[in-house]
Amino acid sequence: MKGFRAILIKEFQHIFRDRKTLAMVFVIPVVMIILFGYAISNEIKNTKIAILNHAHDPLSYTLIEKVTSTNYFQNIKFLHGNHEIEEIFREGKVRLVLVIPDRFEQSFYKEKNATVQLVADASDLNNTVTLVNYMQTIVSDFQAEQNVLLPNMQPFQINVKMEYNPEMKSVYMFVPGNIAMVMVIVTALMASITLSREKESGSMRMLTITPIRPIFVILGKILPYMIISFFSAIVILLMAVFIFQMPINGGIALLLLICLIFMLTAASFGILVSTFAPSQQVAMIATMMGLFMPTMLLSGFIFPIENMPWILRVFSNIVPSTWFIIAIKDVMIKGAGFVGILKPFLILILLNIVLITITLQRISKK
Amino acid sequence: MLKIARISKSFKKVEALKDVTFEVENGEIFGVVGPDGAGKTTLFNILVTLINPDKGSASINGFNIDKDYKKIREVIGYLPGQFSLYPDLSCYENLDFFATLYGNSIEENYELIQPIWSQLEPFKDRRAGRLSGGMKQKLALCCALVHRPQVLFLDEPTTGVDPVSRREFWSILKEIKKEGITVLVSTPYMDEATLCDRVGLMQNGELLKIGSPENIVAEFSGLLFALRASEMYPLLEKFKNLSGNIHYYPFGQQLHIAVSHEADVGLLYDFVKEIGYGLLDLQQITPSIEDCFIQLMAY
Repeated sequence: MKGFRAILIKEFQHIFRDRKTLAMVFVIPVVMIILFGYAISNEIKNTKIAILNHAHDPLSYTLIEKVTSTNYFQNIKFLHGNHEIEEIFREGKVRLVLVIPDRFEQSFYKEKNATVQLVADASDLNNTVTLVNYMQTIVSDFQAEQNVLLPNMQPFQINVKMEYNPEMKSVYMFVPGNIAMVMVIVTALMASITLSREKESGSMRMLTITPIRPIFVILGKILPYMIISFFSAIVILLMAVFIFQMPINGGIALLLLICLIFMLTAASFGILVSTFAPSQQVAMIATMMGLFMPTMLLSGFIFPIENMPWILRVFSNIVPSTWFIIAIKDVMIKGAGFVGILKPFLILILLNIVLITITLQRISKK
Repeated sequence: MLKIARISKSFKKVEALKDVTFEVENGEIFGVVGPDGAGKTTLFNILVTLINPDKGSASINGFNIDKDYKKIREVIGYLPGQFSLYPDLSCYENLDFFATLYGNSIEENYELIQPIWSQLEPFKDRRAGRLSGGMKQKLALCCALVHRPQVLFLDEPTTGVDPVSRREFWSILKEIKKEGITVLVSTPYMDEATLCDRVGLMQNGELLKIGSPENIVAEFSGLLFALRASEMYPLLEKFKNLSGNIHYYPFGQQLHIAVSHEADVGLLYDFVKEIGYGLLDLQQITPSIEDCFIQLMAY
């Protein structure tokens, strides 16, 4: 046990002495969540919209004038009925439709309770959310201008309707996906690199012929990364809750348990790769191709699985990250309990058993 | 005591070791001498239980390398040919790490490593990667000794080390021997063979000869002459015409000529005169261990 502790301490020394490792392990998680949360949205300029004006009163035209006089939006068509909304979305010409209800001016002045509706194409959600935010600002501005003339006005009610993606899936999608990516980078990638580094430099041979059992050598080396990636997962969850207002509807203990299990998967994948890889570079490329890319592309993190061709759908089923993301999402958003996530949970365990068995077999070879 | 019996090992098409058999007594310095690719490292890898032989068996202090490899790992120290310490850890941290792996502390066997460690002590907080070549080897030796092994394996410890550090390293090995530790050392340098108690000459996976350096030299067959040459290449060209059972090879500034039968000596003298050398240029010399090795290798 003294030897195990020595290896553990040594690995922490390696981590804290190498700036590259340090950056990889601590900075990437934070950068990634900020990137996915904020930066991946485009600048808004001359976005094409359509307007459905039920009111046809002076105030509604003032509003339209206000909206289209900005650089942000460009009205390409006046619609004549609700049925045309779906049509114009399907043609893909606009991403947003502004609907001004009947008796707009009357409700604004007399009932002091006016409503406008924004119908948005939410299939490209990050962009759409930004569009909606811009539109809301413009409409609120308009209201403020009118308020000068007419105090004690009720706030404008802006009724946003997301078409095609009413749950606003991808906003929440990036948090589980991010945890998966961080676990893959910090646990699988770093484990495979650190183990193959010992192999490459020859120090693994020194460790092999000490009385320490190989399994303790390996555990001692990867435990630090597991601790750090678990810590990173908690940081991401905290950021999700406090910066992006993502709810955690399910149990936190269950959430962390799933993280732990996925971390084991990532760790044993990293170890397995290092048993084959002759050098750090090979280990890195193998982990990237074998786990990182599938996590990014096939797990439903960025591209919806339903839209994939069947062969990729089949493949995505054996990517552990797929089930990890499903489980995390169900717990966080739907508030699922243990029974609710039984299927992804068991599949994750099964994949884990398979991976760990193969890995142990590879290690036990002399 | 080490007993190595009929060990063979092949890698794909290369036969790295062929039927190697020898014994090493307790407390001696045994040198495995041979050129690159002779199979020295493979032999060491088998003995330190890193790989298994295809055939044959070996035991170290009564422990079989296959069955009792866990026990062997407790009693041996190993210095690999490649620098294998952690360059980002300091000297002290490296030493402390290896001591702890064996469940020891540096203090327990401090008097054993003290003579070497005292030279490193001024740099103990320097990272191992930033030491000079000779210092690295000394640190690696400390790490291999810190658990007081009974048998120490040194795989080409002086390759790539400057001559002064090499001599120093060998005097350290003599000190280690005084502590009763058996030392197995491999080297491609012939001059180092004379510093061992006994040597085994290896080539192409075969053990050509075993014995003390004195014995190996004594067993040189025939007579050896040295011819001082101002220009080696034209001389070699001329020697191509020499008949009889005579072997010659360049040896530094000289041409060494080995004559198997005394009857051929006259032939050699005549030939030397014929190509324009004086009789004083040709001298009979006592063979070095390198001459013996060349003889064993070549004919």
